[in-house]
Amino acid sequence: MSDHAAGALGDVEVSPTSPPATVWSSRFARRRAVDHVARLVVSTGGIVVVVAILAILLVTGSEAYPLFLPPRIASLPAVPAPAASRAMAVVADDYREVAAVVTGSGIEYVSLATGGRVAAPGVDLGGATVTAVSRLGREEGVLALSDGRAIPVTLGFDVERESGTRVVVPALRVSAPVVIDAAGRALTRIAYAALEDGSVTAATVGPRELAIVRATITPALIGSGERSEHRAAITLATRGSITSLAADRRGDSVLVGTDAGEVAWVNLRGSEPAVGAIVQASPASITSLGLLIGDWTFVVGDEKGGVASWQLLDTGDGRFGPVRIHEFEGHAAPVRLFTASLRNKGFWTGATDGSLRFHYGTTGATLAAVDAGEPDLRALELAPKSNGLLACSASGRLLSWEIHAPHPEVSWGALFGKVWYEGYPGPAHVWQSTGGTDDFEAKLGLTPLIYGTLKGTFYALVFAIPIALLSALYASQFMHPTLKAVVKPTVEVMAALPTVVLGFIAGLWLAPTVEPIVPGIFLMPPTVAMLILLALAAYRALPIGFRLRIRAGTEIFVLIPIVVLGGWLAIELGRGVETWLLGGDYRTWLASTLGLTYDQRNSLVVGLAMGFAVIPIIFTIAEDSLANVPPHLTAGSLALGATRWQTAVRVILPSASPGIFSAVMIGFGRAVGETMIVLMATGNTPVMDPSIFNGFRALSANIAVELPEAPEGGTLFRVLFLAALILFVMTFAVNTVAELVRLRLRERYRSL
Amino acid sequence: MKSLWKSGDPFVWLSGGALALSLLMVAGLIGLVLRNGFGYFWPGDLVELGLRSGRVVLGEIVERQAIPDPGAAVGERVRYRVQVKQGNRDAYGADFLWIDEDDVVRQRQPADAVVIERREWGNAYGFVTAVKEGDETVARGADAWRALHSRLPETTRLTQEIRDVETGTIGAISYEQERIRVQLRGLQRRNVLDPEKVRVLEDRARELQAAYDQELARLALLRARLTGAAILAVAGAGERVVPLEQIVRAERPNEMDIGEKLAVYLSKVWEFVSANPRESNTEGGVFPAIFGTVMMVVVMSILVVPLGVLAAFYLREYARQGAFVSAVRIAVNNLAGVPSIVFGVFGVGFFIYTIGGSIDRFFYADALPTPTFGTGGILWASLTLALLTVPVVIVATEEGLAAVPRGAREASLALGATKFETMWRVVLPAVLPSILTGLILAMARAAGEVAPLMLTGVVKLAPALPLDGFAPFLHLDRKFMHLGFHIYDVGFQSPNVDAARPMVYNTTLLLLLIVLALNLTAIVLRNRLKRRLTVSAV
Repeated sequence: MSDHAAGALGDVEVSPTSPPATVWSSRFARRRAVDHVARLVVSTGGIVVVVAILAILLVTGSEAYPLFLPPRIASLPAVPAPAASRAMAVVADDYREVAAVVTGSGIEYVSLATGGRVAAPGVDLGGATVTAVSRLGREEGVLALSDGRAIPVTLGFDVERESGTRVVVPALRVSAPVVIDAAGRALTRIAYAALEDGSVTAATVGPRELAIVRATITPALIGSGERSEHRAAITLATRGSITSLAADRRGDSVLVGTDAGEVAWVNLRGSEPAVGAIVQASPASITSLGLLIGDWTFVVGDEKGGVASWQLLDTGDGRFGPVRIHEFEGHAAPVRLFTASLRNKGFWTGATDGSLRFHYGTTGATLAAVDAGEPDLRALELAPKSNGLLACSASGRLLSWEIHAPHPEVSWGALFGKVWYEGYPGPAHVWQSTGGTDDFEAKLGLTPLIYGTLKGTFYALVFAIPIALLSALYASQFMHPTLKAVVKPTVEVMAALPTVVLGFIAGLWLAPTVEPIVPGIFLMPPTVAMLILLALAAYRALPIGFRLRIRAGTEIFVLIPIVVLGGWLAIELGRGVETWLLGGDYRTWLASTLGLTYDQRNSLVVGLAMGFAVIPIIFTIAEDSLANVPPHLTAGSLALGATRWQTAVRVILPSASPGIFSAVMIGFGRAVGETMIVLMATGNTPVMDPSIFNGFRALSANIAVELPEAPEGGTLFRVLFLAALILFVMTFAVNTVAELVRLRLRERYRSL
Repeated sequence: MKSLWKSGDPFVWLSGGALALSLLMVAGLIGLVLRNGFGYFWPGDLVELGLRSGRVVLGEIVERQAIPDPGAAVGERVRYRVQVKQGNRDAYGADFLWIDEDDVVRQRQPADAVVIERREWGNAYGFVTAVKEGDETVARGADAWRALHSRLPETTRLTQEIRDVETGTIGAISYEQERIRVQLRGLQRRNVLDPEKVRVLEDRARELQAAYDQELARLALLRARLTGAAILAVAGAGERVVPLEQIVRAERPNEMDIGEKLAVYLSKVWEFVSANPRESNTEGGVFPAIFGTVMMVVVMSILVVPLGVLAAFYLREYARQGAFVSAVRIAVNNLAGVPSIVFGVFGVGFFIYTIGGSIDRFFYADALPTPTFGTGGILWASLTLALLTVPVVIVATEEGLAAVPRGAREASLALGATKFETMWRVVLPAVLPSILTGLILAMARAAGEVAPLMLTGVVKLAPALPLDGFAPFLHLDRKFMHLGFHIYDVGFQSPNVDAARPMVYNTTLLLLLIVLALNLTAIVLRNRLKRRLTVSAV
């Protein structure tokens, strides 16, 4: 082969014979230099291209790789702050420079760099002490007092710029105290929800007694509006006494944990608060209770160190109540501390032995474990940007950690397995990457997309393989060579049609055209086949003298009108079948008999359009391998008396079968990666439904739709790169197999 | 019967049927596009339909179809309905109307019915009753049509002048202003507080602002001269005023002969390929999309040829043949089968964010955070497509190299030529046609590819072409329009798909023509090449 020849030539050392004069030698030197440079340029250029190919794999992979890195948690130096030992809660600003520490005597501000106090106005407690705090942070929370009152506060921070440097200044906002317990009993636990038109406060005033106050502000034209309060007292019918309390931000529910392991759900939606359900959440006492962002999932920590997430769902008997979703990796000691991210479903739990764990609510995974180094932490808080963790220790120190966890929501299980998302009745494969609200739970299941890709490919190949292979067989074996010289380029041109054109025709013309004639489409293959056979029988009935004058391999001229006729006949038959057998309308029949719905842009349309795109590819490669079967095989077979069909099926097909296999594989690869057709001819709904009358969403179309909107470096961005990588690997593997098979075939022909 | 099966002919015929079906599908698709594409610009006759309800509809009949009636008994008379393009979107709300043929009681083709193509709100159909100039009526009744036509050329000239001022002069001023703004920001950022420099720039900015205000005043004067309006009697919607500057074209198709119609047809086709789009791309022309497609393909060709040829020469002439080169060759072949969207994703990750981001940080830091090269643009789109099509060029060139007889190389070397001289003087001329074939195939593939472009810089409406009169003339960082994306966008993202459909068919036709022409050239070239090589081998 010339490969070897060229390679051998490349090694020939071209040495000019002895130069006759110095003029010549300098010229030779220049020529040699030019030759050398050229060799360098060509080799570099060649290697650059080879590297570029590898780069595709590497770049796509390196963008997706960070998804699977474990979170990095780095411990920062602890700072001494005496207030920390008495802390009930701690809140930091966005830049993690100043922390507000809530103690029994009020609020103190501490610099996170030095531990020194930051001067700021405090809260007037009116002689009482703080006994409990609700969830605090950016939004309003409350301090519960020993005299039955609660003070709404917002622990805000202002950022000022002084000559180019950033200064964080505490900006505490305090509202008028609200009397929660008229009897003046101490509020031992409190939960609070700030609403647009008021607030809901729930507090424990006894072992099983809850006081719930709903304040409503009716907007007035002038002034601050009229405030009205609605009070309710509830005594829970639980075995244990209350140990923990939480309320959702919508003011719809209050959750109560008891020392007997029960969780009670108090429904605030009705006119009066009512206990909706009491469930046994744990065998041990509930020691910690908190809600994740979005406030649909709550996390229960117990005395034995167990951590589990729950949701309020239909419990199966038509009633609403808490349902256990995930069990997380627990602690060895009672869970006391809980803090949830304001950005995603991540949260941290802390136990009395000083162990801290980082969990993710959607996936049920525990991502990291940290040891604080001392037991009995007083308070734990995630920084507002979820990039740091802050803890107050009993020994009066502020401990902090730097968290780098850009993609906590991703795991192999979350990408490819079933995940129990918020509000779903059970685990499911879902792709829904963006939603309308900030607390939207991204559902990044790639399985429905892979399913869609394979579904589209399947229907396309079902349509394309028989037609393409039969066409290739006919063109290579039976067709007149003069005709073939015209037909083959025509089919090759078909391969060059831009897929956006096919997609447009499929979506805007084919879909509405197919809709009324679906029964006819399914009748088409048998009808056309029958008609062809009838035509053949008629042809054979013609006198032999006439038949001999027709050249072999020109059947196609008869067949084209027959196929047209068959298509028309099938559509008419389909109308008849629809009227007589399917009750007049096949869609009603589909829905009532098979329980299928009909989408206008469905897999049937995609199958036809994508089949159209794949046919020429399979045809060209299969035809090549069939036509390249050594002619002496055919000649031998025919000489032995085999008919041309016998020759084709028994001799040619088996010897060309690897080529046909590789043709199908390459067709598969093309269909898998096809983007524009699936984008335009399916509804792009990521459902997993095998029905041919429904649409789907393919990996490729999903990338085309979502990547332009995905912020660089975000989770969605990287997941889309992963999707591209999956496509790349899928097609590259399939194509390599096909290529290797084809090379082997070439070897085999050479030996024949 | 048994002999029929035994002969195998049924299978032969069935396989022939499959091929017939493939051919029919290609023919059907091209026929469909031709039928829907060519017809749109032909000025159709206007029909006035009187309905049973007393309503009168004036417009063009665009389609006639049987009314689907699934419950009908077999043999029952099939009823038909027609789709009428009634236009006047501003008056009726919808351009198209389905009318049951049974409801039509009266049908005529009034000779004086007028179709007016407007810059906004689509076509208007009706009868011209008067022409006004400001508040004054200058012509009425039968004279109105003549008055309208005599005024149109002057209005068109004025609107053209206004557009020239808007895009030309004012565009140039804005461009210059933006540059000064970026320069000032750059000075600030680097803390170069050279008052002299700042003063010069600020003076220039003031001058520009003055020039800008002056141009605005000129525009206002020009606009004040546009006072003409046609009064159009519209069926069922009374008399409506159509300002003359809104009129692109006003015709009475019912009284035109075939020659006049042909003239209108050709002028519409010309407008389609030479004008900017209007009405969110559903009307007007596709010139920016043609320009973008061509320019993208040209830039891609400039990039792909050296890369592909170097790689092919390296693989076949310079590299030591062995397992590595075979593996690379398989990889290159497979690259052609990698989905185009994957190349687009690579373009986003590597070209745009990695390379483009770095270019912005080093050379365009003044404009940040607005990205210059760190966002999609024609350069990145072309590079992505160059990578996508480089296997085509490599494979074609390698085939050409394999066909160059070994004797030619050996003769050259034996005469004392260096390897480079052999390649340059003997081998390269012999493979040039193969390279050309590869290039044409690559161009055809690039012209039709859309998915990777959607990620790397195509937009539905680009404010400026990537090539214009402002230094440095060639703006490779700009986003661009593309025929293929135009099809997707107008056909699937447009709010009024019915009205946009003809436009999509026309764009499709144009794209098909370009791609098919390129492919046919490649096929012809390849066949000629084959013939020449066979001759030389003998």
